[in-house]
Amino acid sequence: MKIFKKLATAAALSASLLVAPQAYAAPDVKIGVTFPLSGNSGNAGKSAVAAIEVAAEIINKPHPGLESLPLGAGVGLPNLGGAKIKLVIADHQGSPSEGQAQTLRLITQEKVAGMVGAYQSAVALTATAIAERYGVPFIVGDGVAANITERGFKWTFRTTPIASDFANAYMEFLGELKKAGHPGDKVAIVFENTDYGVSVSGTIREIAKKRGVNIVADIAYSANGADVSAQVLQLKEKKPDAIIFISYTSDAILYMKTLKSLDYRPQLIIGDNSGFSDPAFIKAVGELAEGAINRSAWSIGAKDSVTWRINELFKAKTGQDMDDTSGRDMQAFFVLAEAINRAGSTKPEAIQTALQKTDLKANQLMMGYNGVKFDAKGQNVLASAYLIQLINSQYVSIWPATAAEKPLVYPFKGWK
Amino acid sequence: MMRRSGWIALALVLVLFPLSFDNPYYEQLGSLVLLAAISASAWNLIGGYAGQVSVGNAVFFGAGAYMPLLFYKLWEVSPLYGFPAGIAVSVAIAIVIGIPTFRLSGHYFSMATIAVAELIRIVVSNWDFVGASIGLTGPAVARDWTDLVFRSSIPYYYMFLTVLTVLLVMTYCIERSRFGYYLRALRSGERAARSLGVPVSRCKLYIFILSAVFTSLAGSLYAIKFGFADPASGFGILVSVNMVIVAALGGAGRLLGPLLGAVILIPLQSETNTLFGGGGTGFTYILYGGIIMLIARFEPGGLLELWERIRDRRASRRAVALKEALAASLPNSQAGR
Amino acid sequence: MVLMQVIVAGLLIGAVYALFSSGLTLVWGMMNVINFAHGEFVMLGMYVSFWAFTLLHFGVASFSLAAAVMLFILGVLVYICLIKRVMRGPMLAQILSTFGLVLVLRYSAFWAFGSTFVSLPEDILGPSLNVGGILLSAPKLVAGCVALAITIGMHLLLTRTMLGSQILAVAENRNAAMLMGIRPDRMQAIAWGLSGASAGIAGALIATFFPISATVGESLGLIAFVVVTFGGFGSVPGAMLAGLIIGLIESLSAFYFGPIYQDVFVYALFVLVLWIRPRGLMGKA
Repeated sequence: MKIFKKLATAAALSASLLVAPQAYAAPDVKIGVTFPLSGNSGNAGKSAVAAIEVAAEIINKPHPGLESLPLGAGVGLPNLGGAKIKLVIADHQGSPSEGQAQTLRLITQEKVAGMVGAYQSAVALTATAIAERYGVPFIVGDGVAANITERGFKWTFRTTPIASDFANAYMEFLGELKKAGHPGDKVAIVFENTDYGVSVSGTIREIAKKRGVNIVADIAYSANGADVSAQVLQLKEKKPDAIIFISYTSDAILYMKTLKSLDYRPQLIIGDNSGFSDPAFIKAVGELAEGAINRSAWSIGAKDSVTWRINELFKAKTGQDMDDTSGRDMQAFFVLAEAINRAGSTKPEAIQTALQKTDLKANQLMMGYNGVKFDAKGQNVLASAYLIQLINSQYVSIWPATAAEKPLVYPFKGWK
Repeated sequence: MMRRSGWIALALVLVLFPLSFDNPYYEQLGSLVLLAAISASAWNLIGGYAGQVSVGNAVFFGAGAYMPLLFYKLWEVSPLYGFPAGIAVSVAIAIVIGIPTFRLSGHYFSMATIAVAELIRIVVSNWDFVGASIGLTGPAVARDWTDLVFRSSIPYYYMFLTVLTVLLVMTYCIERSRFGYYLRALRSGERAARSLGVPVSRCKLYIFILSAVFTSLAGSLYAIKFGFADPASGFGILVSVNMVIVAALGGAGRLLGPLLGAVILIPLQSETNTLFGGGGTGFTYILYGGIIMLIARFEPGGLLELWERIRDRRASRRAVALKEALAASLPNSQAGR
Repeated sequence: MVLMQVIVAGLLIGAVYALFSSGLTLVWGMMNVINFAHGEFVMLGMYVSFWAFTLLHFGVASFSLAAAVMLFILGVLVYICLIKRVMRGPMLAQILSTFGLVLVLRYSAFWAFGSTFVSLPEDILGPSLNVGGILLSAPKLVAGCVALAITIGMHLLLTRTMLGSQILAVAENRNAAMLMGIRPDRMQAIAWGLSGASAGIAGALIATFFPISATVGESLGLIAFVVVTFGGFGSVPGAMLAGLIIGLIESLSAFYFGPIYQDVFVYALFVLVLWIRPRGLMGKA
């Protein structure tokens, strides 16, 4: 009996030794961040990382005017003794296997409490799979491919709206256009043929069919192609009422230039984020794409508002305004941090439970979602987006009416 | 080539490696090294021993990677069933490519392999049945052991080690056989080999098929470890180039060259990515490219050849020193020559 | 009418393809070395033009010349430091060397210039010309004309000048040329220089209508290989013809069948040419 007691005390003491460091020293809480920092999407990845770094700074240090955000007080994580957040950043180079390897490293070697990533859907698939295997929460901030949350995973959470949300938004918008007397029946979809373009276009097609919208042209192209004249000529022939582009930056730029050189001004252009949101796009062809519509859940907002201040911090760091994708990743990070704080612990199961119970309202977010609440699959059911339009080389929100800063300019103006 | 004690030491290191650390990251690294060694050693058969520089072996890798995942997707069976299918498809492709392209010499053959791999990659990326550009995923959580989904890298490590051992033993036997002799002959000069009666086309085809089989196995093993394959990671040109580089760094045409190359390059890639990766400058690739250029320029035979040269030079220097020492120690009858 | 436009679009891009492939065929035909880094040379030409324009306010002609000169130097350097030694070695070394060069050039550019896309201003060469209802993109038209000029120029250089015949002599029989007092290394260095220069000009002109980034070389390089194989190694006129045909096939198949098939057709053509007629349209047997 005595021996048993001794053993029990010894066990308890050793257990407490393991747990203790977290109790009194409030050590940093590590969060793993993986994005492509080299290769084709290096720019987007760096931007996302910069956004998350800004978010970590907001949590760790007080910044005026941001108190309404959860953890905006800037004192670290209050329920963990004011522990600061420490980011561990890994470049997955856009490769699914590297994404998995880096995630594994962050989980097993760096012992991160949670992960945020990953930009490319293909990488998100493998990275979340390994997190699932090891039982560590992974928040996907920006991958919109449907299958990321369709695998029955319990450790993957996604805060961003997905392809079906956007498709519904586009179709509703077109429906309202029709009500206003503009044509909105014939739609063309032009998409680059890797997983991003294919999965999003597939969803759009499905939903368009359900709503009785006619897809007059369905053009898949290679993002690395040198020339898109034939595609534009095809579009010119079919005369759609609206063209939805699902493109990366270089091809989006090429399309705008080709539209001009072949003198084809479509009635309406909708760009599905990505290339159209890249500042390089605006810089290169902003004057040719006047009136192009994009989707976003991020709007800088009025001066001195929470979003405006966040944008200032981002601008100070990178020299550019924050874009929608980086914003979404920042939001994912905030959600994770908030859940860790609510859990009051860095134990994976506790964080998982906290995430499952997440219920953030719209005014607690910096993105324009209706809120954050995860369903059983881990998808945020309150995710939403609004449509923005490029006016004078700046995007302003135009839809839905509740979020519109300016009215829609119709039809597509394009170049002078 | 190596003394018995060398082999034993190597075998011990390989077998005991994952057990000596309790670090999942190193275990993962070890299994990645072995996987790279398998594909590179398979490439070594056609590119090193037979001298036919294929830059499209990814086509076999991709076939091997897709089949297990496809079987899982279609029939929900264990990916293991897809392994033989991958091999069968790869052999078929090897025969179809091999027969017309072996007529072409040197650069044409390499270009043809690149072209075929690219063509298949494009076809696969547009074919919905195999997941188009989204690719295929396998079981994320194991239903039973046959799903081959393990949390730890250690079981994968030993699976890969087994396959690599089989491959290397086979290569060793080929090296010593008449087949190996034919291969060396045709690598040195096809016309001469033909005139000596070497069945050149048949040899090329057989070794290509063998290379295809093991590359396909490597692909299947990759698929079960990562649970994912898409056209880029399966059939991409970087996959092919990687195989060539790993083999060439260590020493193409040598038994242990690819393994040496893998042992050096894979951790290097990982470490530089960790070191520089956060900065995101692509410095890893610059380093990588630099290494490749240096090897090509100064020591195309790879590190093993470099090692041999140094060793021989040292041995001959020792021999000369010995001779001089002997000459000096002998009575004056020898002096003055 | 639309068909006419599709054809014209195809020919225009085909001329651009011809432009940046002509340099590759010279080197390949001359010394049987595949320069996998050719696409990267074009990419560097694009960047040289961009910086010459942005920092030094050069006009199109000036920055094209600047690109040509800088890439000529790069070509010669690559020959002297890398290719000269590697040519004598095993095939593996030759292939590896230029692959390594690809990585070094591409990622050095990435490191130096960042990952953002940059572009020359839209109307740097003026708007599209309207010829009888057919729209001709000005930059591509210029590129096409320059491609033609380079093709003719290089052909004349190789066949009518002393330098040209020396280069051809070395290509045909290195040892015999040496016996005739020609310095093969010098000729081959010049050939590499010319190859680089034409890649530089190509890059400069392509930059007028195509977004510039460090990874642009990948796709351009692959196209160049197909064009050169189809046209025949060593034949600059062959590259011109092949470029036009491939551009045409791409445009027509994209319009009628869908853009994805464009890639499939081009690669299938590539493979077919290698099997049925490896020497291409106009290459030497």
